[in-house]
Amino acid sequence: MRPDPDDQTRDDAPDGVRDDATLAAAAAHDEHLFAPEVDMRWWQSKAMRRFRRNPLAITGVVLLLFYIGVALFAPAITAPTIAERERGHTCARDLDLPRDSDEAIAALRNPFGVPFWRAIAAPPQSCLRIPRVSFSPIPQPPQEGHPMGIASGGYDIYYGVVWGARMAFYVGILVSAISFGIGIVIGGAAGFLGGWVDDVLMRLVDVVFAFPNLILAAIFVTIFGPSLTNSLIALAIVGWTNYARLFRGDILRVRNLDYVDGARALGASKWRTFTRHVLPNSIGSLVIVASLDIGAVVLVASTLAFLGLGSEIGTTDWGQMVSFARGYIQGAPGEPFKYWYISWWPGIAIVVFVLAWNLLGDAYRDVFDPRDA
Amino acid sequence: MFAFILRRLLSLPVVLFAVSLLIVGLLQLLSPTQRATAFITSEQQAQNIPAIIEAYGLDEPFPVQYWNWLTQALQGNLGYTRSANMTVARAIQTLFPASLELALFAVVPIIGLGIWFGTLAALHRNSFLDQATRVMAILGWSLPTFVFGIWILAALYGGLGWFGIGRVSTRFITAIAQGEITQYTRMMTVDAILNGRFDMLLDALIRLVLPVTTLAVVITAQIMRVMRGSLLDSLSQDYVRTARAKGLSDRVVNLKHARRNALIPVITLSGLTIALLLNGTVVVETIFNYRGLGMWFATAAVQVDIPAVIGFGLVVAIIIVFANLFVDVLYAIVDPRIRYD
Repeated sequence: MRPDPDDQTRDDAPDGVRDDATLAAAAAHDEHLFAPEVDMRWWQSKAMRRFRRNPLAITGVVLLLFYIGVALFAPAITAPTIAERERGHTCARDLDLPRDSDEAIAALRNPFGVPFWRAIAAPPQSCLRIPRVSFSPIPQPPQEGHPMGIASGGYDIYYGVVWGARMAFYVGILVSAISFGIGIVIGGAAGFLGGWVDDVLMRLVDVVFAFPNLILAAIFVTIFGPSLTNSLIALAIVGWTNYARLFRGDILRVRNLDYVDGARALGASKWRTFTRHVLPNSIGSLVIVASLDIGAVVLVASTLAFLGLGSEIGTTDWGQMVSFARGYIQGAPGEPFKYWYISWWPGIAIVVFVLAWNLLGDAYRDVFDPRDA
Repeated sequence: MFAFILRRLLSLPVVLFAVSLLIVGLLQLLSPTQRATAFITSEQQAQNIPAIIEAYGLDEPFPVQYWNWLTQALQGNLGYTRSANMTVARAIQTLFPASLELALFAVVPIIGLGIWFGTLAALHRNSFLDQATRVMAILGWSLPTFVFGIWILAALYGGLGWFGIGRVSTRFITAIAQGEITQYTRMMTVDAILNGRFDMLLDALIRLVLPVTTLAVVITAQIMRVMRGSLLDSLSQDYVRTARAKGLSDRVVNLKHARRNALIPVITLSGLTIALLLNGTVVVETIFNYRGLGMWFATAAVQVDIPAVIGFGLVVAIIIVFANLFVDVLYAIVDPRIRYD
């Protein structure tokens, strides 16, 4: 019947990881005996050297570091807007900042003070709301204090784009982690218990996997009721299948390895084999797979938000901000592209974010694919 | 082969049974009152929710409710959709041809360009063309459908006004309403040809350009990458070297020997392609105001119109089952090693 695409990729990639890494580590270890300097084994491994030579991979890493920086330092970057306390925006108040603008800006930008770190480590929920300059339905072009313009409803695009990076990481990491958890439990149950449990769970995996993820997530959101939390739950329920399949495959594969046979011959129980041999062998590469999925998760999440099935209006969510443009597709007479800035900035933010993850994922496959060595 | 297709078709009711069980099960998460709203068709009925709960047995235990739902569904009663103001069955019937038309127009460039560019990139490995294709593929794959859609909508429709949106101009819609144009298939291009209205055909085609481009750009990238990789694999196989050694022309070796085998992973991918296409139609129809199933679904989801969402879910399930059947048949055609008996 049909060849199972997973088994192939599975056999190539993670084995390559282990082989390359262990060989290189062993070689580096010998050198290490004679050169007791800084431990550079990981950095000097063959796989890492190939990774460093790949310009696309480096581009991906640089872009991602940029996004992490923006997300992390969003409070300092948008300090003037936060301090201004625009309509309905209580972020500054919730951070206990003084009413006076300059003082608040200084506090948010002073890395030796408490407010700076407090805003970075635990910003209140209200910081993830876009401040409103006015309630005017007419968008305003980029201007002083609002470098990316103002969307209809008076929403400051610059603030939304910057804090949107934080939102993207929240959404991506949270959904990937929950999906990963569900996948490990279901895949683990299927592989560990086998028999009819395996059959039933794997049919479930097939059905969920075959269903278009956006549509399935949208159906769940409709039934749970549209909100940010529900859209995240829906995305997690939709996204676990791959991890379940990979983890189950690992369990079945490791079970047949010689040394596991040996362990079993020595009297190791099924559970001990599972915890001592399967888990440590498989979790590492699965975590990498899950983290490389963050870009894809953010893509679907922003599509849901764009359709109006995610966060409520006015949240710093790129997908939702792109939907602001839907009422302003046509420019004014003589100025056909008058409202370009509404969809351009949040749109480019999503595209480059997803691009960075895809570059990393591509490079990961290239580097650890033994066929290409 | 025939027996295989028949066997697969016989499994269709089983799959639909499982899907419907899942969907009705999900509905149990809602309160009976929420479920009752599915059957409301007028203001007057909204006053009388307990009666509806009673009539449809919405507070009965799950097996009874499922039985009720099933008997209704088998009679074609899937409820009433507020967002389209008609019964769900009628909405599916009228809107399906529109989405099918869009998908069929998109599939041609997706498959054609994907395989063509993938082949070119593999045959000229590491050339400028290969690098360009690779960059294009990663870019295309990173472009969310809705971002790309909004951008070309704003640029080519809003800004330059080159293309229209919707399905056809209002004058043709009026003509359809007045009975001047008969809707044989509800696919605008086909109906235009059948009615001999080539002005309407042109109009419909121009309006298909933006949605089809949006769908194609994002999905073609994926096929292109897989095609390139698998053709590179086949080109390094022994039988290809043998074919060259026999003195066959490059063209025959590359396109007949290598590419035919390289197509198998692309066919494996077509399940994913169909899923992407279905996802894509929801977004694209919404953006380009193209009245089809996808736009109906997106509107219904926002308005929490549950019967519509469930009806659409069933349609998608049926499409996927048939698509997978089609893919399996395609396998047998491309790969003679596969036998289905």
